[in-house]
Amino acid sequence: MTSSSSLPTLRSAQNIRTALQALFAAIFFAALMSISSAQAQVDLNKRELNVPATLVAESEQVQAGQSVTLAFVMNPKPTWHGYWENPGDAGIGMSFDWKLPDGVTAGRAQYPVPDRLLISGIMNYIYKGDYAVLVNLVVSEKVKPGPLPISVKSEWLACTDEVCVPEQDELSINLQVVGPDAAVSLNNAFNDYREALPRQLGSAATFTVKDDLFRLSVPFPANIDVETPYFFIKEDGVVDYAAPQKVNRDGDRLIIETAARGDELQNISGVLKIGQGMGLSLKASSGDVAMSGVPLSSGGDSGNFIGGGDQSNASLLFIALGGAIIGGLLLNLMPCVFPILSLKAISLAKAGGDEGVVRRDALAYTAGVVVVATALGALLLALRASGAAVGWAFQLQDPRIIFVLLSLVTAIGLNLAGLFELPNVNFGNKLAAKDGPAGSFWTGALAAFVATPCTGPFMAAALGATIVLPPIAALIIFAGLGVGLALPFLLIAFVPAIRNRLPKPGAWLDSFRKTMAIPMFLTSIGLIWLLGRQIGEDGLALSLIFLLLVALILWWFGGGQMKGLSRGMVTTGALFAAIIGGVMFLPNEEAMDSQRVATASSATLPSEPFSEARLAELRATDQPVFAYFTADWCITCKANEAAAVQRQETADAFAAANVAVLMGDWTRPDPVISKFLEKHGRAGVPLYLYYAPGEEPVILPQILTVGTLTDLVT
Amino acid sequence: MFYKSAITSAAAVAAIGIAMPLAAAQKNGAIAQDFKLTDMYGKTVQLSSFRGKTVVMEWHNPGCPFVVKHYDSGNMQATQAAADKQGVVWLTINSGAQGKQGHMKGPEAQKLAKKQGMKSDHYLLDAKGVVGKAYAAKTTPHMYIIDGSGKLVYQGGIDDKPTANKADIKGARNHVMAALNELKAGKSVSVAQSRPYGCSVKYGS
Repeated sequence: MTSSSSLPTLRSAQNIRTALQALFAAIFFAALMSISSAQAQVDLNKRELNVPATLVAESEQVQAGQSVTLAFVMNPKPTWHGYWENPGDAGIGMSFDWKLPDGVTAGRAQYPVPDRLLISGIMNYIYKGDYAVLVNLVVSEKVKPGPLPISVKSEWLACTDEVCVPEQDELSINLQVVGPDAAVSLNNAFNDYREALPRQLGSAATFTVKDDLFRLSVPFPANIDVETPYFFIKEDGVVDYAAPQKVNRDGDRLIIETAARGDELQNISGVLKIGQGMGLSLKASSGDVAMSGVPLSSGGDSGNFIGGGDQSNASLLFIALGGAIIGGLLLNLMPCVFPILSLKAISLAKAGGDEGVVRRDALAYTAGVVVVATALGALLLALRASGAAVGWAFQLQDPRIIFVLLSLVTAIGLNLAGLFELPNVNFGNKLAAKDGPAGSFWTGALAAFVATPCTGPFMAAALGATIVLPPIAALIIFAGLGVGLALPFLLIAFVPAIRNRLPKPGAWLDSFRKTMAIPMFLTSIGLIWLLGRQIGEDGLALSLIFLLLVALILWWFGGGQMKGLSRGMVTTGALFAAIIGGVMFLPNEEAMDSQRVATASSATLPSEPFSEARLAELRATDQPVFAYFTADWCITCKANEAAAVQRQETADAFAAANVAVLMGDWTRPDPVISKFLEKHGRAGVPLYLYYAPGEEPVILPQILTVGTLTDLVT
Repeated sequence: MFYKSAITSAAAVAAIGIAMPLAAAQKNGAIAQDFKLTDMYGKTVQLSSFRGKTVVMEWHNPGCPFVVKHYDSGNMQATQAAADKQGVVWLTINSGAQGKQGHMKGPEAQKLAKKQGMKSDHYLLDAKGVVGKAYAAKTTPHMYIIDGSGKLVYQGGIDDKPTANKADIKGARNHVMAALNELKAGKSVSVAQSRPYGCSVKYGS
């Protein structure tokens, strides 16, 4: 119910902007002072506006045949706000009545990503804090050089939470048409203005209105995080603005559901806000949309499951729990888990005679698995609650955790290979009866800990549910994962028929155990590869030295065991020191970022970051250039890259023709790229351009094939 | 928010004695939610007592520039007078909460009605916003028409020019007048829904 914070849009680089604005205001004021008093009169009125507007041009010089962007810079007084083009339940958008010289046309107004303001159940789509509405003026080629006076009468509604005042102003600006060779200087504030605009999604969305519900399905890559997405619709009458919006994620789709208001249209448009000041502008056509996938945010509070009565959350819990148990069961087959478990199973079978001991051990093992799985889950929830943006694979995104896991998996491999024995955790060469329940418990704990990062993608949905369910329900799901993992043991323990079919332990078991070290070491290699991708070869070499240290400590420990010495305490301390050392010596964020860039350049088709300067430089040397613009959240882009751009055939053809490749990443707003896209008539990615030497660039189709690209150079 | 409005409306329901759903928008074609409100003279007015006659409901806030547009120009009074001529009952409703813009007590409302020459049959005080929310009244003005059988047949704006500029009244389609004329001619309302425009209703919660 509280009003949302001021617009984020212009906050970045705020200091620079404020300075620029102050400078601009000073110039503006000086200009005012020097003109007639009649003019000053108008501006006296303007000073009383609650949401005063200033008309600014990106450049006062414009070449015939080009366009120039104008900004209505709105500076609401504190507590006041202005409205988006669809104002919501109440309020009114801006209107523009242009007076333009012949040959000049004004485009549609482009609005920044709005905020929501809900007052007493009445939804307002608004801007608090400064914002800028942009309009492109196209100056036809026929316009002769000289002054170009532009004036516009604009009306808008200024409101506080309490009152509304319709405001209007006659704004004018004098532009100058200059020759094609004249220099055009650009106002940098426009970079910030553009950054605040929504970016075009590119791919088409689908919507449906059925049973008083409105549903919208938006293509959106599964791996991109969003915080409480919200759909601002442009057309009135379709949705109930004040109704909460439920959001589901289903693979590469975001599905939004809210109350419909009755109007049925064939096409709608709007802005999907995916973060503060981040929005994607999209068009949707009528079709079928089911509320599939996993809820991201329920419109109400997420605590309603425990309160009972929420059918969808309850059934979600059961589906997710089922998924978790099956997932846990399948985890038994993972290369990092199977060795431990198969040996444990056989050791259980060995105690065949004593039913009671077997069952006790199986239960202890299950307890160990469930406790650790739940504890890991609790850790994940705690991290999430503390605000860290973590997903289930969060372990594998953090090199520190990869290193710890690598040490652990390697240690288990060494243990299986016979380098040392663990005092409590026994994998089968001793009698199970001697292990006791404590040993079984710790085996279970270890299995769960090693297994959890191996959860395959099929678990993602079930685990995703834990994010929206209340904490207790989420923990039940994590426990379910543990139960699934322990299920084979419970079966072995409680169904004697299965136990009897297991091979009897013997001398072969020792060889089997040593063989099982191989999948463990394979897992290590996998983790080393993953670590290397994140921290680079230099960092990796250092990490491997620490890994060797871990191995040496364990060897020394094993040597002690042979001689009957207990070196447990010292070993534990030394191990901790080695692992912590390894973690501390990992490269910092910055180094990792540069590594990521390096990884990008080692892609199938290497590229350099896009800049207009670099493009001009390459063009000057008559080298052909392929420029592509992409963003992580753009599915079409990623599909094209996988199918056509990052392909060996393409890379070979481009290399043969000496084509330079420039890549513009628009994942985060980048004004340079925005401006470049705009220049090519695109408001969004993907954009593919090919510059043959000395020729005009060719804009390639939005759906690429290898053929399209290789044909360019043959 | 939910609890607060529940408490508020529970109190209001107790006061007026008619149970009412919470902020459930009324649908065209459905029987309009009945209510009782006190008018500016302290008299209780009940919607269902007008069964058989067409009823217009107008949400009002004297401080709102969009309401001012239609009263200062005389457009609203003219529409009220034309409705009156057809035997239509006109209810002007103020859902502004105490302390909010446009909230009025009986005597103030009487003074204003006289000064502006309002031609509505009743000026109703809905400071708790219960009736406003039952009809999902969002703006001032926000207009509703109920036919003689008690069915809601129009909801939306007063006209199709969403500005605060008096000059725009000329040339605008007065949706209420058009609907009343169609009803009188025995036709169905051609524009039964439009976008209401104006200030938000100043509810208390």
